[in-house]
Amino acid sequence: MLVAAGFIFLYAPTDALQGPVQRIFYLHVSSAIAAYGCFAVVLLGGVVYLWKENIAADRLARAAALVGVVFTTVTLVMGMIWAKPIWGTFWTWDARLTSTLVLWIIYAGYLMVRRLAEPGRQAARFAAVVGIFGFIDVPVVHFSVTWWRTQHPGPVVINDTLPAEMLVAFLITMACTLFLAGVMIAIRYRIEVLMDQAAEKTVPAPIVAPSEARGAR
Amino acid sequence: MRTISIALAVARKDLTSEWRTRELVPALAQFVVLALVIANFGFQIDSHNAVAIAPGVLWMALVFAGLVAFGRAFAAEREQASLEAMLLTAAPPAAIFAGKALAAALLLAICEAVLLPALALFFGVRLSFDVVSAVLLATVGMAVLGCLFAAMVARVRARELLLPVLTLPLWIPFVVVGGQAVQAAMGGSVTGQATGLLLDLDILFVVLTSLAARFVLDD
Repeated sequence: MLVAAGFIFLYAPTDALQGPVQRIFYLHVSSAIAAYGCFAVVLLGGVVYLWKENIAADRLARAAALVGVVFTTVTLVMGMIWAKPIWGTFWTWDARLTSTLVLWIIYAGYLMVRRLAEPGRQAARFAAVVGIFGFIDVPVVHFSVTWWRTQHPGPVVINDTLPAEMLVAFLITMACTLFLAGVMIAIRYRIEVLMDQAAEKTVPAPIVAPSEARGAR
Repeated sequence: MRTISIALAVARKDLTSEWRTRELVPALAQFVVLALVIANFGFQIDSHNAVAIAPGVLWMALVFAGLVAFGRAFAAEREQASLEAMLLTAAPPAAIFAGKALAAALLLAICEAVLLPALALFFGVRLSFDVVSAVLLATVGMAVLGCLFAAMVARVRARELLLPVLTLPLWIPFVVVGGQAVQAAMGGSVTGQATGLLLDLDILFVVLTSLAARFVLDD
């Protein structure tokens, strides 16, 4: 990420119209793509879990959902900071902004299901269903700028409209962000494994009648 | 064939028990009328803005009435532990789910039969065929999604909290498209495209939920 920061602030040219605030672009778009990637992992993990009842797939989905929500938050906050000077407001009810907010809410709901459902098979199944349904919103977010007339600009990277230096800085930022997302998922996966093991080891406290407990003391 | 007859039997059971107790529909009808009263105070409605606000009020009332209705859809099954009994039979879970969703959709449609005339009366809007068809088409999709998540939260702690959090985001497409259709119809223009889109959404979610029903009901 430091390398990416170097490219963003030192290498990439300053935007002629928007000035330095345009540098938000690199991280804003990269973290959006990283979030899509995380939610795709949630989808795949959910499908594999429902199909094969594979606990590793469920843990991977759990880890990716959390990281995905983090990156969606980064995208939204960065976007708002960028929107204030350029659009004059933090928020407009534009199709892409709205659908991204909905995406955030859906996966926050996913994390809530994980907490509230009975741990184990039930939580894994319910969460997998939510993760699969929730993924419907990802293409909606992605194509919202082409389907509706939005204030949010359309894709600039794949349309070849970026100057070469900006493209280099963007690609490096994206690679670093995706790598960071991968590392975060791996760390979270490890935490999920440890938490599962801890839950297995915790023996329920023996039920002792109040009178016996007093006698023992 | 068997799937359909099982679904119809489950739906008939739900509707019969609602007919005998008459607890949900009267409460829902009161609820939607109250929503109109609250909207009146919230928006300071007069003869100029009523038509512009009416579609929004319609969808707000419908969405929240739907949450109440689907929250109750599995209440009786939970209280009497009858869902487990139904799942123990040879009936496919998807058929049981379809029956529950059908009954819930019909109850919500009855509630709409109160909401729409009340809206026409209090807000002075015209009820055309387009408005009714948009609302009914949205009800189908909302019912299958609502029932899926209601079945899920029926076995979860804090179910009253979780149902809206899971259901509302996925209802948004219906509110977006249905809202456009109703706005256009109340403004007097044609709504052909929106109706088609609602139908597409219905098909998509009916297929998806019937595939997912097995994993949510089966334990």
